[in-house]
Amino acid sequence: MDNRSAKALFKNYQPLPGAFDECFDGEGRVRPEAATVIGLLEGLGERTFRSRQKLADTTFLKSGITFSVYSENRGAERIFPFDLIPRLIPAAEWQRLREGLEQRIRALNAFLADVYGDQRILAENTIPRDMVLGAKGYLPEMKGVHPPKGVHVHIAGIDLIRDEDGTFLVLEDNVRTPSGVSYVLENRMVMKKVFPGVFANAHVNGIEEYPIRLRDALESVGPAPDDQDGTVVLTPGPLNSAYFEHSFLARRMGVPLVEGRDLFVERDMVFAKTTLGPRRVDVIYRRIDDPFLDPKVFRKDSLLGVPGLVGAYAKGNVALANAIGNGVADDKGIYPFVPDMIRFYLSEEPILSQVKTYVCERDEDRKYVIDHIDELVVKAVNEAGGYGMLIGPQSTRRERQDFRQRISENPRNYIAQPRIELSTCPTWTPKGIEPRRVDLRPYIITGENTWVLPGGLTRVALVEGSYVVNSSQGGGSKDTWVLEEGPQ
Amino acid sequence: MISRVAESCFWMNRYVERVEVLARMLNVNRAFQLDTVISTSDRWRPLVIVSGEEKRFLKRTAEASVDDGETVQHYLTWEEDNPSSLASSLREARDNARTIRETVSLEMWETLNDLWVWFNDRAARRMYDRDRHEFYARLRDQCLLFHGIAQATMLHEDPFEFMRLGTALERAGQTARVLDIKHHSVGPTEGEVETPVEAAQWVATLRFCSGIEPFLKREDMPLSGKSVADFLLFDLAFPRSVLHNLLRVRNFLNLVRPPLPTPIGQASHAIISETIEGLEAMDIDRVLEAGLHETLTSVVSATASIGAAIHRDFFDPSLPTSAVGESSA
Repeated sequence: MDNRSAKALFKNYQPLPGAFDECFDGEGRVRPEAATVIGLLEGLGERTFRSRQKLADTTFLKSGITFSVYSENRGAERIFPFDLIPRLIPAAEWQRLREGLEQRIRALNAFLADVYGDQRILAENTIPRDMVLGAKGYLPEMKGVHPPKGVHVHIAGIDLIRDEDGTFLVLEDNVRTPSGVSYVLENRMVMKKVFPGVFANAHVNGIEEYPIRLRDALESVGPAPDDQDGTVVLTPGPLNSAYFEHSFLARRMGVPLVEGRDLFVERDMVFAKTTLGPRRVDVIYRRIDDPFLDPKVFRKDSLLGVPGLVGAYAKGNVALANAIGNGVADDKGIYPFVPDMIRFYLSEEPILSQVKTYVCERDEDRKYVIDHIDELVVKAVNEAGGYGMLIGPQSTRRERQDFRQRISENPRNYIAQPRIELSTCPTWTPKGIEPRRVDLRPYIITGENTWVLPGGLTRVALVEGSYVVNSSQGGGSKDTWVLEEGPQ
Repeated sequence: MISRVAESCFWMNRYVERVEVLARMLNVNRAFQLDTVISTSDRWRPLVIVSGEEKRFLKRTAEASVDDGETVQHYLTWEEDNPSSLASSLREARDNARTIRETVSLEMWETLNDLWVWFNDRAARRMYDRDRHEFYARLRDQCLLFHGIAQATMLHEDPFEFMRLGTALERAGQTARVLDIKHHSVGPTEGEVETPVEAAQWVATLRFCSGIEPFLKREDMPLSGKSVADFLLFDLAFPRSVLHNLLRVRNFLNLVRPPLPTPIGQASHAIISETIEGLEAMDIDRVLEAGLHETLTSVVSATASIGAAIHRDFFDPSLPTSAVGESSA
């Protein structure tokens, strides 16, 4: 490492006391697994680094890699802030994570098949019946409906964090419509463009095969014979905040991107309206939530969905990815029971740990939460995006009182967890490079087999001291590098 | 292909064409007013009329400002409330492209999005203030670049044909409108004898269609209203002539139609064929006899009917259950 230029970029870097830093140890020394990459970055010096960051921002804007903002004017678009310092995961560490993720997905898929089938796990009381059947994401209409090839969770995003010891913990499962993978792929593309030298020397696992893996997995569950098959991506439309991703995935998979109005159902089969007349569709990667899928079955006022779609699905004539009713599996109230599911369905011990969780529905847990609310993070089970959340140690007395009351009124709706000191990663800020907290969302694709994208989306809380990484609340992202085994 | 996507391909190119034509006209008109004695009211008013904006423009501004080049240019360039302005057409083109990102090539998207980002940035305003010629030229050139990139990066199949269909139909209508400008400025076209002002007007008309040099290559044609109208209506080799583009419309319609005997595409095919045959049955003398303005008006309204038929045939088909085939998407 060139020590002179090293000083220029990282000389004032101070890891955050009490948190695990991804690149530096408690003494402020570079971790061995990060040495190569940090050295390469330092070799650039601050001025070059600054200009590369600017180039990256311009590239995102020019390529239209944006998300739409709901609250502002029609058509308002923003770039998702991107930080150039990558998050690094050594090969051996990744190997263990990958196995843990595969195991978790197997269990969640088995749980969904069971809940909408025989409900063995409820009969044996491994998970309280009320917790499952009372979950907002449990759809009784789906009881007895089996998706093609038995796959419920085609695409999953499992959120991981690291505690103060550096241990990876599962924070949250996303098995409905996890988003963000397009940013992973675009971040990588931008990194290669702005840091060609760093990239070429860092031995990073490739991620570019994701769209092809996804298409293969989707096609592998299609119920129609080969001469009638057709795969599409179903989007709510250009005003949806994740529209860029929908379009991106359709483009990279080489399949049509459709809106609800482009499809119709006839004789319990799905067809697309094309310039050559109606054409059969047998696999739909849908980015529309369950309640909006079919106005005949769920929300009557949905203009986004396709009337009759659920009927066609129930007949087995179309595969939906992900399956309908998955919300019961990623409910925050069900999350505490996933380790039990792994033992129940797989007869294995969980490879990945998760965060200790208090289920407010249980009397003793609720009492603990009410008494210790100032130490805990309280979450509404059906909210996402960092909403409906109380961070006890940073809350006001009025907020705590408000949450105590909400919990007492509707205990099923809340869980609580100790606040984890999320790990930090060196991040470019207006004040220079500083530690900012990060999480990690790996993506897992399942068709006939399961495949885990090496790395995933690293989200970073750009606001100093913040624990919230969501893009809606001041979060940004980083490229995630799974480093290959071998010479560093 | 998905009907809605075909519709966006079609409209994306129509809007790109509108940007190109209007940017070129504004630029030519600025140069034109510098070198003739034509009255100010005859310089700018026709552009407002041709863009179909006379009513709205007069409602918003004083009568006198229709003759004020700066006001007209601003209105036709930046005004978001004017659906024909460069700002509006560019936004529509880019919005259409954005809804079919999976269909347009990456290079096409970047070209259009770059142009849109630049247009909405201070840099474009600065260029507009300091170097108006370069400003309009850049818009025109980026549209041409867009077509070239499409040609070189898209699969030459249905999505591309629907784009070219949009361009050809828009061009046929735009050329007819531009040719009609003289009617709105120096009055109806009658005979061969013309004043210097009229001659200058015809040169400008050719420039509006980037047709001056191609026209001069037709050595047998003197510079007169009659020969310019003949050239812009009938010259089969000129890529902006009305007939050239109508033939292209028919050609692209044939390419995107499913094989007979399906009824899809029959209605639009019938109207385009009728329009082409009507025009082919005439020559420039017959046109002048019938009235150039009247002929051009009927061409413009035929392009509207063709657009509506394409919409019914391909973009918003009714779905009789018997039409449900067995093949795949």
